[in-house]
Amino acid sequence: MAAAGRGAAWLLPPGRRDWVAAVWAEAHEVPPGPARLAWRAGGAWVLAREALLLRRFGRVALFAVAASAAAWAAWPRPGVGHVAEGRFSAIATVLLVAILPLLARRFFGTASPGRIGRSLRVMCYAAILALLPAWTFLMVFSSVLPVKPAYQRIFCNDRCTGVPGRSSGGPPWQAEILIMLLILGYVGVTIFLTSRRSQVTRSTLAIGTGTGLLFGVVMFAVDPLGLNNVATNPWLPGSMADPLVAVAWILLFGGPAAAAVLASRLCRGPDGVRLPYSARIGQGIAAGVLANGLAAMFTTVLGTGTTLLMLKSPRLLHWLNHGRAMTPFVTYRYEFYTVNHTGAYVLMLMSFPVIGLFMSSLAAAIANPAPCQPQVRPSGPGLPMTSGE
Amino acid sequence: MTSRPEFSAQTLSVLAALCDQPSQWQHGYALAKQTGLKSGTLYPILIRLADRGLVEACWQDEPAPGRPRRHLYRLTSAGLASATGALASAAERAAEQAAAERAGAGKPRAGVRPRPAARGAVAG
Repeated sequence: MAAAGRGAAWLLPPGRRDWVAAVWAEAHEVPPGPARLAWRAGGAWVLAREALLLRRFGRVALFAVAASAAAWAAWPRPGVGHVAEGRFSAIATVLLVAILPLLARRFFGTASPGRIGRSLRVMCYAAILALLPAWTFLMVFSSVLPVKPAYQRIFCNDRCTGVPGRSSGGPPWQAEILIMLLILGYVGVTIFLTSRRSQVTRSTLAIGTGTGLLFGVVMFAVDPLGLNNVATNPWLPGSMADPLVAVAWILLFGGPAAAAVLASRLCRGPDGVRLPYSARIGQGIAAGVLANGLAAMFTTVLGTGTTLLMLKSPRLLHWLNHGRAMTPFVTYRYEFYTVNHTGAYVLMLMSFPVIGLFMSSLAAAIANPAPCQPQVRPSGPGLPMTSGE
Repeated sequence: MTSRPEFSAQTLSVLAALCDQPSQWQHGYALAKQTGLKSGTLYPILIRLADRGLVEACWQDEPAPGRPRRHLYRLTSAGLASATGALASAAERAAEQAAAERAGAGKPRAGVRPRPAARGAVAG
C-alpha cells in the first residue's frame, strides 16, 4: 500500500509530492495495526484531495481558455457595425456563463452527485460558448451589403441602405437582450435541474437526456440548416411530408409527455421508497422540460455549426445541393437564405421548453392521479348511513 | 456583526500545538497525537499553512536506523505572530460566549412559552 501510495504521488506536482511522502514516512512511527492502517488511509485521502484540487484547477483553466477564445472570436472586427452591441454580447455571455454557476451554488447548492448532472452542465456551457462566435459570424455574413447590384437585389428586396462590402453588424440591442435572457434561462434551468436543491433524481435526468438527444437527432436531420424547406432535407429532397418530419412532430409533443410519465413512475427516493405525489409530478415536469430544452439546444448547435461549415466548405455546399448548377449568384442566394433561416433556431430555443413544460405537466398529472383525501366524517351521532354504503 | 474567524477550530488546534515550542521542529505523528486529528485532516491543514507561509517544513537530516526520513514542521516568524493573534482572539471569543451563556442561564428564552399544566390536572 505504501509503495502504491508513493507511486501515485507522482500524479501530483513536485511541490505536493513531499507531503504525501511525509505521511507515508510518518506511518512507521504509528503503532502497527488499525492505527497505522488509518494513518495510511489518511495519506491516501490527502493524495486524492490534492489530485482533485488539481483537477478543479484544470477545469477552471480550461473554462477560462474556452471562454476567452469564444469572446475573442465573437469580438466585433474593425469595419463592422453595431460594435457596442457586439461587445456587450461577447462580454455578457462569458460573464453569465462564468458567474451564474457560482451564484447558483449559493441558492441551489452544489451539483447533484453523479456524472449525468455534471455532463449536462458542461454540455450547456460548451454549447453556449460555441454558439457565441458562430452566431456572430453568421450575423455578420448576413448583414454584409453585397457589392454587385444583382446580389444587392437578393440582400435588400426593394431598397438598399449601407455601404456595399461592409457589414451593418449584428442584431440591435433588443435582440441582444432577448438572446441574453434566453442564455440566462438555459443556464439557470440547467443549473437548477442538476443541483442538489432541486432533488431531480438520476433516473429523471437520464430519461430527460435520452429523450432530448433522440428528439435532437431527429430534429437536426429534419432541419440541418435552419427551419428552411428550400435548403433542408438533403436526404429526402423535394418531400414536404417525409416520415422524419412526422416523427419530429410526434417527438415535439409526445417526447416530453412520455418522458414525464416514465420519470414520474420510475423515480425513487434515496432509500428506494416511492416519492410523494407532488415530487413525482415535479420529476415528470423536469424530465419533459429537460428533453425539449436539450433537443432545441442540440439542434441549434449542430444546425448552426453545419451552416457555418457550409459557408467555409464548397464541398459540403455542393453535396447539399446535389444536381444543381451552383453559379456564384445561385451560391450567394442559397447561402444568404440559409443563413437567414438559422434565426429560426432562436424560436426553437424559446418555444420547445415551453411546449415541454406544458406537455409534461399534463402527462405527469394524468399518469399520477392525485391521492384521495380521507373524508372527515362527523363524529357525533345522528347522521345515519345511507343504505348501500 | 462579528467577523468570521480566520482559522477553523482544527487549524487553531494545530497552531496551538506548534506554538507550544515554536523554535522546535515537530513531527506529523506528534502533532496528530497532540491535536487528536487524523492524518487525512492534519496534513491538508499543514499544506495550507505552508502555502500561506505560516509553517515551514523540512526533511530530517539523520533518520533513525531502518526508518525513513521524517518530515518536520515549525512555525515561521509570520506564522508565530499570526497564530498568537488568532489564538488570543479565539480565547477572547470563547470567554465572551461563556459569559453570555452564564448571563442568559436564569432568563426564560424569548418565544418559549411556559409549559402548561398537565392535561389530566385540568380535566380533573
